[in-house]
Amino acid sequence: MMNFGYDEGGHRVSIGDMRIWRRIARYTFNRWVSFTFAVLLSLAVTGATLAQPWLMQQGIDRYITDINLDATARLIGLSTTALWYCIMVIAVFLLSFLQVVVLEYVGQWIMHSIRQDLFAHMLRLDLNIFNSNPTGRLVTRLTNDIQNMYEMFSSVMVTMFNDLLRLIGILIALYLMNVRLALVMTIFVPISLGLTILFARLARDKFRAIRSQLVKINSFLSEAIAGISILQLFGREKRSRDEFEELSEGYLQRTLSQIKLFGTFMPITEFLGSAAMAMILWYGGGEILRERLTIGELVAFISYMKLFFQPLRELSQKYSIVQSAMASAERIFQLLDTTSAIHEAEQPVSTASHRGELVFDKVCFGYDPKKPVIKDVSLRLRPGRTVALVGTTGSGKTTLVNLLLRFYDPQEGKILIDDTPITKFSLNQLRNMVGVVLQDVLILQDTLLSNIVMDTGKSRSEIEQILTNTGMHRFVDKLPQGLDTMIGEGGKELSTGEKQLLSFARVLCRDPKILVLDEATAAIDTESENILESALADAFTGRTSLIIAHRLSTIRRADHIVVMAGGRIIEQGNHEELIAADGHYAQLVAMDLHNGATTAPA
Amino acid sequence: MKETNSPSHHPANARLKELLGLVRHSFVTHRLRLLLGFIALLAVDFLQLIIPRIIKHGVDGLANANITQIGLMKLGGLILSIALVIAVLRFVWRYLIIGFSRLLEQAVRNRLFRHILKMDAQFFEKYTTGDLMAHSSNDLNAVQMACGMGLVAAVDAFVMSTAAIGFMVHIHGQLTLMALLPMPFLAIFTRILSGRLHRRFATVQEQFSSMTEFARSTLISIRLIKAYTTEKFQTERFGKLGRGYVQSNLRVAVIQGLIFPIATMVGNLGMLLVLWFGGKLVIAGTISIGDFVAFITYLYMLVWPMMAIGWVTNLVQRGLTSLNRIHTLVTSKPALPELENHNLAPIAHPTYSLRELTFFYQNETQPALNDIRLELGPGIHGVTGRTGCGKSTLCRLLARLYPVMDGQLFFDNTDVNTLPVDYIRAHLGYVGQEPILFSDTIAANIALGKPDATQAEIEAAARHAAIHNDIIELSDGYGTLIGERGVKLSGGQRQRLALARALVCDRPLLIIDDGLSAVDVATEHEVFNGLQQRLAGKTVIIVSNRIKLLSMTDRTIILEEGRIAYDGRHDELLKQSSLYRSMYDKQMRQTPIAEPVP
Repeated sequence: MMNFGYDEGGHRVSIGDMRIWRRIARYTFNRWVSFTFAVLLSLAVTGATLAQPWLMQQGIDRYITDINLDATARLIGLSTTALWYCIMVIAVFLLSFLQVVVLEYVGQWIMHSIRQDLFAHMLRLDLNIFNSNPTGRLVTRLTNDIQNMYEMFSSVMVTMFNDLLRLIGILIALYLMNVRLALVMTIFVPISLGLTILFARLARDKFRAIRSQLVKINSFLSEAIAGISILQLFGREKRSRDEFEELSEGYLQRTLSQIKLFGTFMPITEFLGSAAMAMILWYGGGEILRERLTIGELVAFISYMKLFFQPLRELSQKYSIVQSAMASAERIFQLLDTTSAIHEAEQPVSTASHRGELVFDKVCFGYDPKKPVIKDVSLRLRPGRTVALVGTTGSGKTTLVNLLLRFYDPQEGKILIDDTPITKFSLNQLRNMVGVVLQDVLILQDTLLSNIVMDTGKSRSEIEQILTNTGMHRFVDKLPQGLDTMIGEGGKELSTGEKQLLSFARVLCRDPKILVLDEATAAIDTESENILESALADAFTGRTSLIIAHRLSTIRRADHIVVMAGGRIIEQGNHEELIAADGHYAQLVAMDLHNGATTAPA
Repeated sequence: MKETNSPSHHPANARLKELLGLVRHSFVTHRLRLLLGFIALLAVDFLQLIIPRIIKHGVDGLANANITQIGLMKLGGLILSIALVIAVLRFVWRYLIIGFSRLLEQAVRNRLFRHILKMDAQFFEKYTTGDLMAHSSNDLNAVQMACGMGLVAAVDAFVMSTAAIGFMVHIHGQLTLMALLPMPFLAIFTRILSGRLHRRFATVQEQFSSMTEFARSTLISIRLIKAYTTEKFQTERFGKLGRGYVQSNLRVAVIQGLIFPIATMVGNLGMLLVLWFGGKLVIAGTISIGDFVAFITYLYMLVWPMMAIGWVTNLVQRGLTSLNRIHTLVTSKPALPELENHNLAPIAHPTYSLRELTFFYQNETQPALNDIRLELGPGIHGVTGRTGCGKSTLCRLLARLYPVMDGQLFFDNTDVNTLPVDYIRAHLGYVGQEPILFSDTIAANIALGKPDATQAEIEAAARHAAIHNDIIELSDGYGTLIGERGVKLSGGQRQRLALARALVCDRPLLIIDDGLSAVDVATEHEVFNGLQQRLAGKTVIIVSNRIKLLSMTDRTIILEEGRIAYDGRHDELLKQSSLYRSMYDKQMRQTPIAEPVP
């Protein structure tokens, strides 16, 4: 996998955590038909596997070594046994093939539904969760953690079940043949199990140590490669090399110590296998001398014991998989249990009014309630008017937009659209009424057309109409295949200006009543800027617009300018009034608005 | 272990030799370790083959009723003691041979990193971080597997199968032939299937990464997703990717579902043939029942080597492919001259002369810089121009990140191609467009180029870069961890930190490639004042698009499409360059009350 040893520290979950198992089981129940089928297949495979040594024993005792029967009868009997043996061989082959495929089918679809649930759930969560978790971590939940859980499903629930079934089957077969010899053989059960568990524990720690070192190596490496020019320019090569080689040495030592552990355990299981063989020969041979066991049974015992030791070795390695899978499962379910702090209106009002009046009424808000970033803001945007928000970084402009879209809810005060508090709308209603152009742009790996349409269901001609009306067709015409140009990864790379235009086209396609624009701080190319400006002029008419403005040209276009500082509105009016007042705004303008813009805070 | 049966998959013989040269050193260094390891391995194989002989004796004795309880105990004891020796020897070979593969892995890994550190920017355009990470994890892993388990399995399978077959032939030749009939099929099947498995698995991995990428790009733009209410739309698209992933996994499962059942079936078919023909032979009295049982035990021993043949072939092939990739990487030559730095004396006031400097990026037909003639000595030199005019290229060439032709770039009147790269770099501080910081403390990040810098020096540099006040507000001040697991800094803070890092080195040259773009105007003034104080008498090259900043330099160079369009002081440029004037108008004039700029 493309997981370069991603590992998160934190707590360890025990395998016996029933809550987690119960939730996994719930997903399993949805596929119970296939699941039952898989279990039945398991039973059948085990039965057919264990029948083989028994058939061999029958062949030996009843026909090969039975000198009382005449040769023809012995040969016929042997043939029948061989035929049965052949049937069992083919049955095991077909059944186990079927079993693998069925289990993969069940497992993969279960994981698919968990993944889909989780993805849909994540998109519903409020932004606080996204701020406190790096994107990489959330992505890991969807990919690597689910993958880990799948490993658990396939290797634990499936293999362990199969192996256990087989162990039980073997013991039953042994007891049926010869109780005393079976009793002797039973002492290998606790010894092997104890040893396996002990080894699994030790191996888990070694694995963990190796993995965490690998994470260190990989993050060191990726950082060094990303910053290679800096390392070279500042003459850090030797130090980096030494650091890397130290990490590499640490990794070597850890792998060597793992090899020692495996080198001890693997031979011990093999030794136990040989010891079982010695026991069978000595005690079982004695039983034959006492005429309580046949040679065929002795051979069958040897075969069964070979089958017995096979799964043990694998079992021990699986233990560590289970551990990490349990941790993954817990992280996934924890995230699924996280609820959004933004509550949907239970009975959303119908959006009957279409005026588009926007009111902020004594709004107070802080991402951390103790540190308010919006302090008692009241603002009325009359329908159809354009208001520019102006202020330095951290003055609270972006936060106001976040509140309007209900990415967060204010701690005090309320926001109303056409006299209805926005909490009374459903989130979809609200966000369809308010169209935003944000600075960052999401680009789907698809054609430009589908990037504009997204899920609105608008037709090609409608889009073309909108683009022509606003003069934005000039942007599309520039692209090699017009609306059918593939963009995104592997397609055409759009410039910053073109991305802004795309983003704007999307909003126009949705025809919102209220338009919110977070103007790009970075300079965009002149051509895009010209197109954007004429499209803006068109978009502002007949819409209530709120602009976080960085360009003087945009600010001057606004009907009303609101100056923010430290989370408060400190001045408002039109350009001339504010300049005449010679206050904060005048200062801002003097300090060069265009360049004063810095990256917006989260 | 050379494979010759499928030449199409293999590099030519000479190439193979070259490839193995990469790992030969490790083989030679650890030859004693390997020798002992293989002796232990062979001993294990030999001892393992004895056990069925003992069982045969026992069973024959039982069948003929001429063995006593004491005799059985002796045989059991013999098996036990042989098993004990085997266990010890197994530990020995595992530790020696598998350990060797890890030692080899480490040697190659270190070599890889040493090489990466030497490479220039062109190399990193060809290999992305992802590529290099893949080399260091997946490819190294494949090589390690081939040289460890692959080597063991190959030797083991060869010895075990030859010996086991030998013993079987000794019991009965024809029966051996019968029993072995299905075996070659197993080897062929495993080989075909595991090759196909590998390809299908590669598809799964591709889909896994496109799913990851989709999730990442969605979650990173969560504000947009919510603002446009496209949650359902995105979930459906994700679901489509997920379904494709499930399908590919099922395709893998079909192959996986075949490999082990086939192995089991082939083994069992052999057993069936033994039961049928061997049984007849016992009935006919040709072989004893003890032979029959021993025969079965040998057959068990053969299943694993037969599977191993197919497995090993793939392992070795994959190892060679990976080795090939690593080899290509470590033999790529840096485009910059590799000269030894023989204690050249540092220069106090170095200058750059650019003489008709022309530069092309790889696979580009338009020059990024064209016929540049420029002298850069002490003073502050501004550089500006539109995106793509060659500003950054100029900085990169001065910092020797890309190669230049002979006779075009002179460092203190010496052609740079005759000087060691690290010698030139030791003279300069560099602040790039993207501030690159490392996961470490703030102090360590500032002291990157001068690890022995004192706290006072670090703080002084931070003050001049106007970042000191921001730092002391952090929880642990200069000891605060930044990067992946540490505090997140804003773009402007990161840039000022990168500036402090360059300042602390106190070198005679400073190149700032648009490294103050995210710093706000007020702070920019502060920074510039700090620079002027600290950098008096030094050569400073500063790329920016801000007129305010440019107006404070000693001279500004305007680049247009890779050529120098204008070169002069602020007031001169205002008169001459229409580009400069329009930038000035956009940034300054529009403000009705702005004071006339000096």
